[in-house]
Amino acid sequence: MILVNYLAAAALLCTGLYVLLTRRNLIKIVMGLSLMEASTYLFMVSLAYRAASTAPVLLGPPAGRTARQLAHGNVADPVLQNFCLTAIVIGVAVTAVFLSVAVRIAQHYRTLDADRVRAMRG
Amino acid sequence: MTGPALASLLPLPVALPLAGAVAAPLLARLHRRLAVVAGLVALAGSTVVLLLQAPSVFPGLVRAHYLGLWTPVHGQVLGIAFAADPFGLLFALTSAVVGAVLLLYTLSELGGLGARELGGYACLFQLLLAALIGAALTADLFDLFVWFEVAALASYGLTAFFLERPIALEAGFKILALTTLASFAVFIGAGLLYAANGALNYAQLHNALARHVTTPDLIALGLLVAGFATKAGLVPFHGWLADAHTAAPGPVSALFSGLMVNFGIIAIGRLVFQVFGVAGTHALGLLLTVGVISALLGAVLALAQDDLKRLLAYDTISQMGILAIGLGSGTAPGVAGAVYHLVNHALFKSLLFLCAGAIVHRTGLTKLSEMRGLARRMPVVAVAFVIGAASIAGIPPLNGYVSLSLIHTGLLGGHQYLPYALMLLAQVITIAALGKAAWLAFFGHRERDYRSLEPLRPGMVAGLASLAGCCVAFGVLPQFFLDRVMAPAAASLLHPARYAGGVLSGTAHLPVPHLLFDYVSPAELAGVAASAVIAAVAAWGYLRIREPAPVRALRAVHTGSVNDYAAYAATGLLAVIAALTLI
Repeated sequence: MILVNYLAAAALLCTGLYVLLTRRNLIKIVMGLSLMEASTYLFMVSLAYRAASTAPVLLGPPAGRTARQLAHGNVADPVLQNFCLTAIVIGVAVTAVFLSVAVRIAQHYRTLDADRVRAMRG
Repeated sequence: MTGPALASLLPLPVALPLAGAVAAPLLARLHRRLAVVAGLVALAGSTVVLLLQAPSVFPGLVRAHYLGLWTPVHGQVLGIAFAADPFGLLFALTSAVVGAVLLLYTLSELGGLGARELGGYACLFQLLLAALIGAALTADLFDLFVWFEVAALASYGLTAFFLERPIALEAGFKILALTTLASFAVFIGAGLLYAANGALNYAQLHNALARHVTTPDLIALGLLVAGFATKAGLVPFHGWLADAHTAAPGPVSALFSGLMVNFGIIAIGRLVFQVFGVAGTHALGLLLTVGVISALLGAVLALAQDDLKRLLAYDTISQMGILAIGLGSGTAPGVAGAVYHLVNHALFKSLLFLCAGAIVHRTGLTKLSEMRGLARRMPVVAVAFVIGAASIAGIPPLNGYVSLSLIHTGLLGGHQYLPYALMLLAQVITIAALGKAAWLAFFGHRERDYRSLEPLRPGMVAGLASLAGCCVAFGVLPQFFLDRVMAPAAASLLHPARYAGGVLSGTAHLPVPHLLFDYVSPAELAGVAASAVIAAVAAWGYLRIREPAPVRALRAVHTGSVNDYAAYAATGLLAVIAALTLI
């Protein structure tokens, strides 16, 4: 059931957003954003799925089916899966920058509380 | 050079700064300043390639190149398209030229940094410019997302670059959180649009959407507009902008405010006009609403600031609002005015941030209330700042007068009287804010004289002079730029079917509207004079009263907490989607 995927993605997204909006710990904020990120991947992969489709691997098709049959038949959309791969790579880089900024903030301010790291306001 | 040869050069303006960015940290090990010099060479190369395109593209041509020559088959696109249309080429050129000026200024002002710092700085700077040029030239939605992320990563690095100020880290965390949130919106939006239409190419998407626009398409548009509005700093997605500008050194603020925020507006313009083709959506009304709110709130917050760079940053929010209003007018003069204003904003806001950076760097003062009488000590900076401020205020013969008048004409031509009135109000507040800044910083009398201030270096003077010169040139020769550059760029937005045809077939011609600019229009001149007088009185009065309650409330909402700013952005995202799908 692909519907379960969508529900899981929505639940992850809402959990992540809840954490982002309510937690003041910088590490938890990063974790919340990572949860949201994971939900977008799940959503994309689910969008790529078509009813009863197989993986979009056209080389070495399963027994009894040719590559031509697969290409014309029922495979999941490879473009959306590639979307996810690209976004995962970017996401790793962004999380690394996020955590290094959090570490530097912890060194400078001696706190991870977002509420005590807000000299600029108004 | 022939058309196909020119088309095959299109990836080069992006590839050169990218290569420069990779080489920069290595070159810095050979000699400190070599990294920045190599960056200047790379940007000069980009500019030359873009200028080669200019004579054929600006008269109204769309020219496309498919990377790896994966050209479309029967209107189906698999490859990634780079297309030079007047709109994209104009912003690619602006980014390359202004970026080079800023890099030259950096070499002069920050040339004393260590090898590692200069190498990293030159790398991030070129990465951001490559992303901006790529975003201006690409005709592929997923490619646009990738450039969005490249620009975002570079901007995180540049914001948190100068670690001697801890506020840089605070600003870095805020820009990270909000831009990451925006990138999710753009990512899901692009995916939804692909899933619904089976295309990522702008042209193919336009052809699919011209037939029918469904609810998933509108949700995707909402997500994309909200994501790019975060990049553009439109209210309520603007939480990161003022902080990032306050913390960064002068040339970085100039790069962010002059060029990077344009990314969002260009992307929104392309999506609303060229992909969705305006018809069948309420996107123009949405742009007008968001634009008016941003213009007013940004101007009021700017007037309330005491920190010079923060004042300029809030003014950027206001100017982005004006741009959204111009695009939202949907008429030829309005859109041409928005395009004109986008170039003007890149010029005068870079100029103002360089001036602010020079003041902060030399005096160590950031607050306007502590500065006075700098005009005698820094005359060059004072002249440059006043030229920049007068340009924003729209005082003839400077460039802001032309673009603002065009937007006024567009709004009145479309019978949009309420947005017109509110835009005038925002302009008056803007003039008051900048007038206050110029007055407090440069004039008046200071009791304790400044200790000896380091004079400006030649590279800095050259940077300020070239930007100020451009402000004057774009104001003195409006009809020249309007006919040759701005009207074709507007045509490219207003004739999406032609653009789509050009992207799919490789070339197409755009019907360029003929726009007349009436320089001595009595109504406009009277409007400028009246708003200047009202603004002067308002600024004079504002300095003498306690902060009014609404302004205090507005400032109190900007709590500086990353949770709150994320909440505003998430609410704004939902509101944008609701406005597009439910109305």
